[in-house]
Amino acid sequence: MTEEKETSEDEDLEKSIVFDALSDSDMALDFTTSSAISRVNIKFLAVYVPIFWVSGLAVSTYLYASTAHVENWFITLLLLPLNIIAMYFIFILSCLLFSKLMLVLVNLIHKPKEGIFKAEIGDTDYEFWMLRIELKKLVLWLMRNCPLPYIDALAFRWFGVKMDFSSHLNDTWCDVEFIKMGRKVTIGQGAVVMSSMIVGKYLIIKKVILGDYALVGGHSTIAPGTIMGDDTVIGALSSTTYDQILEDGWIYFGIPAIKLKPTKFKRHERDFIVKRDVDEAKSFKVQHEVNIDEDKKDKV
Amino acid sequence: MSVPNTMRVGPFVPTILLRKRYLIFYFVLIWLSLIPVLLEFWWYWRLLWDWERPIHFFIYLAFIIFAMYLTVVFTSVIFAKLLLSLVKWRHKPREGTFLRDISDKDYRFWCIRNVIKRWPVWIAHKFPFPFLDNIALKAFGVKTSIHNSLFEGWVDTEFIEFGDNVVIGQGSIVQSAVIVGNLLIIRKTVVGNNVRIGSHAFIMPGTKIGDNSVLATNSVTTVGQKLEEGWIYVGVPAKKFKKNVFFQDGLEEVLGHVDNVEKLREKYEKIYLKRSDEKLTRKEKKRSMEERKELEKKRLEEGF
Repeated sequence: MTEEKETSEDEDLEKSIVFDALSDSDMALDFTTSSAISRVNIKFLAVYVPIFWVSGLAVSTYLYASTAHVENWFITLLLLPLNIIAMYFIFILSCLLFSKLMLVLVNLIHKPKEGIFKAEIGDTDYEFWMLRIELKKLVLWLMRNCPLPYIDALAFRWFGVKMDFSSHLNDTWCDVEFIKMGRKVTIGQGAVVMSSMIVGKYLIIKKVILGDYALVGGHSTIAPGTIMGDDTVIGALSSTTYDQILEDGWIYFGIPAIKLKPTKFKRHERDFIVKRDVDEAKSFKVQHEVNIDEDKKDKV
Repeated sequence: MSVPNTMRVGPFVPTILLRKRYLIFYFVLIWLSLIPVLLEFWWYWRLLWDWERPIHFFIYLAFIIFAMYLTVVFTSVIFAKLLLSLVKWRHKPREGTFLRDISDKDYRFWCIRNVIKRWPVWIAHKFPFPFLDNIALKAFGVKTSIHNSLFEGWVDTEFIEFGDNVVIGQGSIVQSAVIVGNLLIIRKTVVGNNVRIGSHAFIMPGTKIGDNSVLATNSVTTVGQKLEEGWIYVGVPAKKFKKNVFFQDGLEEVLGHVDNVEKLREKYEKIYLKRSDEKLTRKEKKRSMEERKELEKKRLEEGF
């Protein structure tokens, strides 16, 4: 059986296309795949267990302190729910702290960088990329299951996504490096924002930039290298491709996203309201008075 | 990174909970799988608890909780496997198209099997350990290598074969059973080596994907579709897009580099999307109608 396999592989190699004959459309990355880690390994336990244990130590210290010298059991039991919530958050925050610490150490050993690398064991960039993802995974899982929506924005900010608290990522699958977001970005349920992608033998890492007031629809995918302008909208169930640039103030739709129509709800036109006169079948714009001082209007 | 709640997809619940009395399987399984964990904790308590010096107990508490979770997963998998073998002995699972009705034996047993598998797969899927998923799926009869990453999406638990080095994207679904109208279709899904499945892609039962091929994001295959070896497929339903040349060596510098972007974009816009404001000529309309009729004929002849 093994001999047969080897011969068939050799034949495949002979059949494969000659390198010089590859045309533009062959090389173009006009499709999007996923950025899940390609090889699951038992070695990952070595990352999880220390983080889990060290942050578990913090929790058990708290537990010990609160139960060591109990004078009145009634009051202790009364305060138990509060204690449990406190322990939950202590666990999450200490997990965040220690994995950030380990991440800083890992980044000191090998600095993360953009580019195209080989997705094989032996390539340092690829292995460190997997290690970084595994380091962040436990914390982000805890954050996801926490009922506070802004607490995972905290984790994303700590781990290197450039964003502020005006935009949210709590319903999004998001890579946690090389992503820059403007103000008040809305990302829909189940959308995927990737800054890394595996295509064939290669791992591609490239920065993603989302402009101010950008809007990403539900279940849509954003590929590495995408640059979204201000006020740009991507519809639901659509995906961008590698290195795609979406212009300011347009609605994009499709697989891959192409221009559909200009946005009518731009930030500059927030002061206007479109009114419709049904009887005469006309629509007209009306200046809408916003109760904000002149000098603060651009902050809206 | 971690899967958010809105992306935790799964097979439809109402199709599985056919009868309320199947809930007894849940209770039995959960009860059985929690007993060994309690025993484990009792052992730990006996070993390290000391009323005067409880420090050792607290130091290793996190470890034992970690181990307890793993034992829950493993014991529930083992007990579910035992129950499942009993159910399989009563009625052997088989492929085919069945009536979705209580009177149909295959449908009934498919429901029972899914109810039994749901608790262990759920508890393995919840934890951020990628390989727990693989272990649970492997135990229930999905042929997969332990290194495949299946944890970001949802994979049905029987009649599925994976090759080596398969990646399933975020929120994508791989099915081997689907309910269409009044029918339950169970067919074997085969995914070859080195296959990449994009995020939110949807694989219907009976799909056969060849080695080294790619199913791009948001694309859907039809029931019984065959994807050839070494091609990239895009679209709803998935169509051939271009050859997958990305398994060659030495492409790092050329990859993704395109000289004439506009020309390519025009070419692909035509393939991807037909605009609603685009008017067809009469000839084109006729041709598209004929093509559609031929396709329908073909499908009727092939059947399920």
